[in-house]
Amino acid sequence: MPLIKREYNGKSPEDFRLVLDFEGMENPQGIDAYKSKKGYEALTAVLKEKRKPDDLIQLVKDSGLRGRGGAGFPTGLKWGFVPKDAPEKYLLCNFDEGEPGTYKDRYITEISPHMLVEGMVISAYAFGAAKSYVYLRGEFYDEIGWTEKAIREAYDAGFLGENILGSGFTHHMDVYTGSGAYICGEETAMISSLEGKKGQPKLKPPFPAVAGYLGKPTVVNNVETLAVVPWIVRNGAEAYRAFGTEKSPGTKLFNLSGPVKNPGCFEVPLGYPLKRFIEEEGGGLLDGKKLKAVIPGGASAPVLTAEEVENITLDYECLQAAGSMLGSGAVIVIPEDVSMVDVLDNLMHFFKSESCGQCTPCREGTGWLGSMAHSLAAGHGQASDVERVAAIASQMAGKTICAFSDAAAGPAMSIVQKFPHEFQSRFG
Amino acid sequence: MSQEQSVQLTVDGREVSVPAGSTIMEAVRKLGEIEVPHFCWHPGLSVAGVCRFCMVKIEGVPKLQIACNTEVREGMAVDTIAADVKEAHKWALEFHLINHPLDCPICDQAGECELQNYYMKVGKYTSQMDEDKVLKPKALDVGDTLVLDTERCILCSRCVRFEDEITKTSTLGIFNRGDRAVIGTFPDRRIQHNYSYNLADICPVGAFTAKDFRFQCRVWFLKESESICPGCSTGCNVKVFQNGNSREYFRLKPLENPEVNGHWMCDYGRTQFEHLNVKDRLVSPLGADNSALSWSDAAARFGELVKSQAGADNGKVALVLTPQHTNEEFSAIFSHLKSQLGREPEVFVWREATEERDSFDGILFRGDRNPNTRGLEDTLKELGVSAKECSGLKDVGLSQAQLAVVLGPEVERAYPSLETDLAVLREMPAVVYFGNHRSQAAAGLSLRVPTLVFTEKEGTYVNHAGLKQTLKANARVMPSLKSLTEFLGGA
Repeated sequence: MPLIKREYNGKSPEDFRLVLDFEGMENPQGIDAYKSKKGYEALTAVLKEKRKPDDLIQLVKDSGLRGRGGAGFPTGLKWGFVPKDAPEKYLLCNFDEGEPGTYKDRYITEISPHMLVEGMVISAYAFGAAKSYVYLRGEFYDEIGWTEKAIREAYDAGFLGENILGSGFTHHMDVYTGSGAYICGEETAMISSLEGKKGQPKLKPPFPAVAGYLGKPTVVNNVETLAVVPWIVRNGAEAYRAFGTEKSPGTKLFNLSGPVKNPGCFEVPLGYPLKRFIEEEGGGLLDGKKLKAVIPGGASAPVLTAEEVENITLDYECLQAAGSMLGSGAVIVIPEDVSMVDVLDNLMHFFKSESCGQCTPCREGTGWLGSMAHSLAAGHGQASDVERVAAIASQMAGKTICAFSDAAAGPAMSIVQKFPHEFQSRFG
Repeated sequence: MSQEQSVQLTVDGREVSVPAGSTIMEAVRKLGEIEVPHFCWHPGLSVAGVCRFCMVKIEGVPKLQIACNTEVREGMAVDTIAADVKEAHKWALEFHLINHPLDCPICDQAGECELQNYYMKVGKYTSQMDEDKVLKPKALDVGDTLVLDTERCILCSRCVRFEDEITKTSTLGIFNRGDRAVIGTFPDRRIQHNYSYNLADICPVGAFTAKDFRFQCRVWFLKESESICPGCSTGCNVKVFQNGNSREYFRLKPLENPEVNGHWMCDYGRTQFEHLNVKDRLVSPLGADNSALSWSDAAARFGELVKSQAGADNGKVALVLTPQHTNEEFSAIFSHLKSQLGREPEVFVWREATEERDSFDGILFRGDRNPNTRGLEDTLKELGVSAKECSGLKDVGLSQAQLAVVLGPEVERAYPSLETDLAVLREMPAVVYFGNHRSQAAAGLSLRVPTLVFTEKEGTYVNHAGLKQTLKANARVMPSLKSLTEFLGGA
């Protein structure tokens, strides 16, 4: 059972079930199971009580909920950017979940897809969108089925469609599947893809909140972000803020992978110590191996050394201060017997293959880093190559339309800077 | 926000004021003295912001920003020469060059290549690239006029935007991703439209090269001069490229003029250098037996022919004008005849019978394939002459004239029925034909006199919208050639 093991901050493990409340239930996916535990109560209350959309936006602002896709942008603020008087607006749910090491969104829909649907309808009501799309990674065959089934059930139960619960609010929802591009998890690339174009990020400004899908105001939120909205509506902003830290309130799903005894998806309050997470929830490393490094937030997050891990807490501000990021919450554990040269090769191969190729520094830089990392791993490198990796990475960062280039540069830079000795032994 | 609102900013300490909503790039262009290097930005296309070359520093903004998509703000202080900006420019160039084949010695773009130029201006580093380059398809036949080398391409997407936004043909796309991204045509599509050469123009490198210019001449041998395209009544402003030594013409390119043609010109217009070269030109006057005459003999014969018709009781004299010459030439020939004859000749405007005069493609190309229809109308009006407009010469009563003086078309391609019309002229008692072609069609006419072409003369064209534009004179392909006024002066 992926819950935290023991009491934390005066709360028992069972208290940290905001998103994974249905975990462990038998057949939790259907609408009846969902309704048996307060499902659709939040939406019903919002619509029956005719809650003011602005009050909902304020509620989410007050809760301090931050985007769970990786960037951690305040969700209420994002909704607030949408022009009130625009006649046509869209909500897009980012379910492209492509960050290596991340499998939290698919877990949410495996357990309670209705939580996402309810969260989406409430969110759409808050900023006035009559149409939403779940942009779903094309390889997620099961998740596509689960989500579509939940949408159908919600239509049948009257939680979607025209004049929902007699409130006068109309909302329609559809699933759109991606075609295998990591970059389509970037919100403007997702919009391009949804528009039928090549999945490439768009130049900003204009931002999606002003001109997004089909040029209309659009909000793009992650699955996890939307799924927690019903809980916040039911329990209030203060209750949400009782979890996590001041700047990172709430809980978050973390995906632990690597050679640990107990890998998996855990709901953890933000601010939770990383070391404790690996040792207690993860059960420590397999075969008594020593920890060498941790990638704390998916492949785009710069690596942390075992020493750095000692004092890290899992929240946006601590990881940012440590020069890395919370990202999607994919904690990848690297043991002592894995060479960081191979880690670099593995990561750079990924970024080389996934760069959309639009901006020159990223297109050429990821290709270049990919080739260099490969030759270093093959034992053809020399000392100047390691310096070149750092120089190229530093010129890729912050120079492109989207954050992909930074996502490739950060890990590269951190690996060559923190583990230079590992490269020396591989020089040809 | 009203259009009149303006914003004051400084670029490298120099003040400039631009309309609100402008970008830094536009402000820099207005200043003129400073250049922010760029590849993907083009003033005639939407902003792509992908080359990431035009980085500038803005006071108070932590990261460098691209000039092409950053809107100006009041009081903004932009720096284009700070050390980190220059470093960013160098690296942007390095990123562009690492997979570029550097085949400049065999590339037609060499000498006018923005990669080369910027390397000299802002690059000059030692390359750090030590890895294998990505290989891509080369020498692709993508249309009747263009060859595509995808390895040379720097993926600026100008051509894709041109196809999407200007011609709306959307033939091109960038396929695959990462450093395998490659420019290409969609399956079973070719670049087939009347604006294809613009793709070679806007391509900052040698990815698109023009079939009619490939391997013809190194660009540094070419002299560039400004002119007006004689291809149709739009009157696009053009740059004419002529070899400085041989005087051979090689190509036309558009010259930016927001009032007329913006940044573009059509492919039909591009062919308007073909009739300029000496191999096709009539270079000396010819008599009825097709023998060459000296200029003075020709002038004397013209004088005799005209004088023989002088006086009120003599036969009819027809002056036949095509709207392909300058206002000044129309006026000169009319005035000359009037003074020599002592009366006005009867004036005919000769237009191509098959023309679709009012057709327009919505971009630049007009069915009136004469550069000076409006100018001819205006000139005749000023002279107080009412002319008879003829659609071809077949049905015209010119045959009743004892002498016809004809200013034939400069661009004979615009007169597909020329042969039929010249046959009418051949049946007349006496015809003096001014033309610039060596073609046999006019053989047998009493006197043929060479004329100058649009690049060799000064004068005025008035375009379809009534805009007066001035031609500038380049060196004549043969120094012995005479202008119409020079010839009339000797007659």
